[in-house]
Amino acid sequence: MSQDTMIQDIKAHVAKLLEDGTIAGFVGLIEQNGHVAPHLFTSGEKLSGFSLGDFNSPGDSRYPLNKTLTTIARAYPHQTFGVLVRGCDERGLFGLFRLNQLRENRVVAVGLSCPDALAGACECKKPYPDALVAGEKTQVPALKQVAQMDGKDLAQRFDFWRDQFLKCVKCYGCRDICPMCFCNECSLECEDLIKKGDLPVEVPVFHLTRAMHMADRCVDCGLCDEACPSDIPLRLLYKKTAEIMNVEFGFTSGLNKKEKSPLSTMGPSK
Amino acid sequence: MTVLSQMLAFTGIDQERLRARWVSSAEAPEFVEEVNAFIHTLKKLGPSPLKAAKGQEEEPA
Amino acid sequence: MEYKTTLTTCTYCGCGCNFYLESLDGKLIGTIPCKTSPVNEGKLCIKGWNVHQFVQSERRLTTPLIRKNGALVKASWDEAIAYTAEKLKGIKADKGGDAVGFFASAKVTNEENFLMQKFARAAIGTNNVDHCARL
Repeated sequence: MSQDTMIQDIKAHVAKLLEDGTIAGFVGLIEQNGHVAPHLFTSGEKLSGFSLGDFNSPGDSRYPLNKTLTTIARAYPHQTFGVLVRGCDERGLFGLFRLNQLRENRVVAVGLSCPDALAGACECKKPYPDALVAGEKTQVPALKQVAQMDGKDLAQRFDFWRDQFLKCVKCYGCRDICPMCFCNECSLECEDLIKKGDLPVEVPVFHLTRAMHMADRCVDCGLCDEACPSDIPLRLLYKKTAEIMNVEFGFTSGLNKKEKSPLSTMGPSK
Repeated sequence: MTVLSQMLAFTGIDQERLRARWVSSAEAPEFVEEVNAFIHTLKKLGPSPLKAAKGQEEEPA
Repeated sequence: MEYKTTLTTCTYCGCGCNFYLESLDGKLIGTIPCKTSPVNEGKLCIKGWNVHQFVQSERRLTTPLIRKNGALVKASWDEAIAYTAEKLKGIKADKGGDAVGFFASAKVTNEENFLMQKFARAAIGTNNVDHCARL
């Protein structure tokens, strides 16, 4: 399916939703000044600017639209909004519904599937959303990264991660861009845990704290990884956390709409 | 605990270095026993790799 | 109801990272790095991530301020420039040009920084020229 067809399909679908008043606005992407940026489309005419970016580097047009949606929804809690979603974004939506950050009946997901190359680069477990409007159900690629790291011995893993964590400049980009992060008081800013102003960060406290907090939340969108100026493989860390959650508790964040997090339920352990 | 201990292992820190046990304040002997056992385990494991990492952290740029 | 993003360049340092300032109904609410900019490729430092906080902050200065009787008081530009010129001339006459130090800024243009060091060297007569990046 060509990108142009996908764009047309989405535009047609959204135009109708706007026209018949189902949604007050659509959180999508607009082409401006030669770049693709997040945008809220409030009428059919403005949709002409809708774009999916460069087809050859689809990753470059991935932005945390759920975060934008959550911000707008907070300001306009009684309106319904549409939002452009890939597979990961939809997992994010299900998580945000569960965590009461968005109301399910106020969100209309408009989904597109990811091209094979992107799905492979992401090693995505489900590179298409259920609410699919444009594109076909992409095949799930082979998952290798975590196994590769597990294949190394303890000392090798420590050396690897120590070198990675020491590169951290505490820009908090991973947290700021994460569509699932919304805490008013972030643990990473709690001085009892993370000392202020200290560089390099305490290994492995900073990164494992974040990993633990993302344990039942991360939907593997990979935006944190892409936002890290030190190129720390954050996604790999969180993929491992997700694997542990899956193996130990049978839980995958965002896969099932109604599924509660095992970390928030008390009861007999397995 | 399940998640944390495995994440520590993933990043190269032996799971044996993390221990969690609930001890009542009325169980003083059990507390002593637990701590001593833990110290014994830790001594066997040797200095933590984090010590060397800390040394690297304090190295002048 | 209007949410839009404005592509702009960071004012904090000479790097010049590109990002989108998010505005909701005319108020700046956030910053998103631009992934397609060749300068920063979707990454930002902590200062860049928080740029939106100062732009519309109430704490921004809107007029020059002069310290009178221990308190900072609003002044006009003419008053402030006259006061500064008077004082600098006085210090130069009393203690020599080297008693004055100049701190240039990464937030202004190269041309403005050039003017500053020209003023320091030619007008005041000192080589005490430094830059905020060293602080």
